Amino acid sequence: MADHNDPNAVNSIFSDIDVSAADLYDLFGFPSADTTDGEKVVIALTFASVPEPGILDTDMLYRIQVLAEPRVPSSLREDHNLDDLLRYFNALREKYLGPLGAAEIRVTVDSSNRATMRFIDFPGGSFVKVVDTNKAVTIDTPEGLAIKAYVGGRDDAFFNDLTGFFRSINYAPQFYHVPHTMTEVREAKIPKTLLELDGNHFFNYDPNFPEWGYHGNKKNLPAEPLVWNGDRFYRDKNGNYRFVYSGIDCQAGKNINAIILEIPLAFVTKSPNQHRVVSTWGESWVLKAANKVETIPDHPFWLEHPHVLLDAFRLDEELKKYKLVDTDGQPFADAALSEREDNRQLGANNFWLAPHFIKRLAHLGWGFGPSITALGLQTSFDHDNSPVSVHKTYGSVLQAFPRVKKTLFQNLNMPDDSWNKKGLDISLRSPLDIFVPNVCAIDMDTTGTWPFGRRPEDQVATRFLAMFLDMQAEFQGKKYHLDLLNDQSLWEHAPIEPKTPPNPLKNDKDFLQDFPYLAEPW
Amino acid sequence: MVVDMPNQTSDYDNELERITRLMAACERDALAKPADSESATKFVYLMYQRASLAGSLTELAALETAITAAIEAIGPAGDLYFLKANLDFKLHRLGAVKQDLETGRGLKDSPQGKALQADLDFQEGRYGESRRGYEALIQDEPTWDNLARLAHLKFKLGDFAGAEQCYIDAENELTAKEMRSFAWVQLQRGLVGLRRGLYKEAENHYRMAALAYSGYWLVDEHMAELCGALGRFDEAVDLYRKVISAVPRPEFQQALGELYQSMGQPEQAKPWHDQALSTYLDSAQKGEVCYYHHLTDFYCDVVHDGEEAVKWARKDIALRRNFSTLAALAWALYRADELEEAVETMDEATSSGAVDAHLFFQAGTIYQAANGNGKGNKYLRMAAEINPHYHDFHAHR
Repeated sequence: MADHNDPNAVNSIFSDIDVSAADLYDLFGFPSADTTDGEKVVIALTFASVPEPGILDTDMLYRIQVLAEPRVPSSLREDHNLDDLLRYFNALREKYLGPLGAAEIRVTVDSSNRATMRFIDFPGGSFVKVVDTNKAVTIDTPEGLAIKAYVGGRDDAFFNDLTGFFRSINYAPQFYHVPHTMTEVREAKIPKTLLELDGNHFFNYDPNFPEWGYHGNKKNLPAEPLVWNGDRFYRDKNGNYRFVYSGIDCQAGKNINAIILEIPLAFVTKSPNQHRVVSTWGESWVLKAANKVETIPDHPFWLEHPHVLLDAFRLDEELKKYKLVDTDGQPFADAALSEREDNRQLGANNFWLAPHFIKRLAHLGWGFGPSITALGLQTSFDHDNSPVSVHKTYGSVLQAFPRVKKTLFQNLNMPDDSWNKKGLDISLRSPLDIFVPNVCAIDMDTTGTWPFGRRPEDQVATRFLAMFLDMQAEFQGKKYHLDLLNDQSLWEHAPIEPKTPPNPLKNDKDFLQDFPYLAEPW
Repeated sequence: MVVDMPNQTSDYDNELERITRLMAACERDALAKPADSESATKFVYLMYQRASLAGSLTELAALETAITAAIEAIGPAGDLYFLKANLDFKLHRLGAVKQDLETGRGLKDSPQGKALQADLDFQEGRYGESRRGYEALIQDEPTWDNLARLAHLKFKLGDFAGAEQCYIDAENELTAKEMRSFAWVQLQRGLVGLRRGLYKEAENHYRMAALAYSGYWLVDEHMAELCGALGRFDEAVDLYRKVISAVPRPEFQQALGELYQSMGQPEQAKPWHDQALSTYLDSAQKGEVCYYHHLTDFYCDVVHDGEEAVKWARKDIALRRNFSTLAALAWALYRADELEEAVETMDEATSSGAVDAHLFFQAGTIYQAANGNGKGNKYLRMAAEINPHYHDFHAHR
């Protein structure tokens, strides 16, 4: 029997694809309010609590990269063209591959669940410290600065209506048992939308099954193709649209594992007065099989994989023993803009994906833009006054670019001036500034609220949707801003049910005022 | 807190226990009416994993029944037909594999379906198409299993360096969470060494496999063959007996019999050969086709019954015409003294592009017997160039 090659003979194939300790969830970063002995930056990387909350996987290496630089005004303007944009990406490439390498923190955990933290190439020195997990500890740097660190389990700090988001993009695996072989069915070819589409019974709310899509409740995949041929948004007998969101916190009661740091700025840079922006991003790496048995030499795979080619030059001996699995910089950078394909896990180097980014944003815009217009709001996306969301994909970045130009370049207004705590001349940020490169750029002169960093209390899922609002328009005499869709009064007056902001306004557990900031695990 | 407790059980036992536990946990939902497609699919996949890991023919038979029931309940889901296709492939039912690919919803155009199609091309001797299929899949995403598939093809076609590099690339894709797969790749690399007479290299890979994934009978089975080739007969016998006690499959019984034969102990060989033949014939009588290849080998090399060997070889080649089945038929015809057809058939096998010491040894022997004006000597030289030890003990795979 089986006198032929059969690699999948006992391979797992599909049935045991579990949540992995390599699944990164969020990266938070903001200036600490505690300025005793100087400014400090808080960075928190959260990931799946596997094997369990408070116990970390010994095959994993987590990497947090940090780079402090002066704040420079964005070189991007709304009247820029595609050539300018591509030049911008090229400049980024030089920056992130050039000599200005980031410092980094690597964290591994041993079989006794003690964490080894390596601080590498910081201006304040390189050193190693082994710490207990699930305990806030203070680590002294070679120059006598104090770094606070916590490695272990916490409450999941993300609060959002994930099901609503998946309903907005018609993501079938949230609602149906989708065979793994049917990858093309995952994101159904139905217009993305914020408002339910009339007759889209494949994804619209089912009053007979209100838990559908929540808490793992799914239906069997229908035999017929998941398509929609309608021409309008659904409206109820009162003329109201139905929101795809419910405002429910799908992450409530869940735990994560986390690496949380509060680092003196003087350790991150020798020029803390000039280097006011701390860019950071996280990565998860899993030990390669060959290195688990520790005798086989490493042979990187080069062909047709530029990031691997890149790694071969950049990676040190330790990292060559690991395989990069996930990256995290900005919320939704992967999930919403890169479709979470494994081979697109480039992190800060996502300028490789710039054309894809533009095409994907245009695809999303055709879905969300008409929804916004239908609600009587102004959108930054040019959808030719389409009365309903459209499913449209682009093969050419040249065609996509004019549609998304304003969305890409517009400055995102903040709800008030509280973010700019010192009242400095700090430019607002555009989606392009935010997402390329895929880093969390913490402005130390701000509160660090998104997109000037990311604070745990920021409702980033809703702020992400606000990118598609026209920031030049006004609501009740005030310019649109990032928190407009979080404003209950907007929904009270909108022709929509339920009258709720798309996502919950606060976390299920209160965040802590002090380190480690994220709430205790459940 | 201590996470990794000292563990006396092997990786293999742990995994088998884990699969069994998962099966128990989802069995009720899987068999509920109306069927929940995810639970039912997960359950039959776990059955497949368990049967494959344990090497159990009985469990494979039960799996087939379960897949059929799941398909009846759920419909032509791509995942179920993918599983069915894998099972059919394992059992050499290539016609059924083609049907599975057509019937499974979305299966044919999925990466998994395309890999199966390339496997089919390989089995049916379309090596160029098979290679292009694997390369296209790897271009899209360099998964370890497709790299291993391409490595196997390159090895069979004589590109040893290319095969080695593909296996290395496959290894590089595997993480600490996939140690069984890593061990499997080590076995393949060891087999490449073994078939080229590089015994030390083979042993290193087999030992690495054992380190990576402990307690696996498949590693023992490979090591047993190597020990036989190295003349470490007692070790080989012990290993084969251990394997057979865990996985009593006829091909391993035949291998142990042949080992005793090569040790000059025909009386020890006989019961094992008898058992193996009995199971092969029972299987064929039930309409199964997966042991045709072994029956051919058995009648050729164990009992030297050319006519019977030809009968089974013709049945096998009707299912899949590739260099391996062609060579088997040619060798059977040679045993049956039908030299003219043996030469014709071997010509077709050798013109396929396959480069294999055993193939060339058989070709050389047939051409010599047919007075093939030096062609026989040429092939025997080529066999020795690939593997100077091609006469040593080897198992029929």
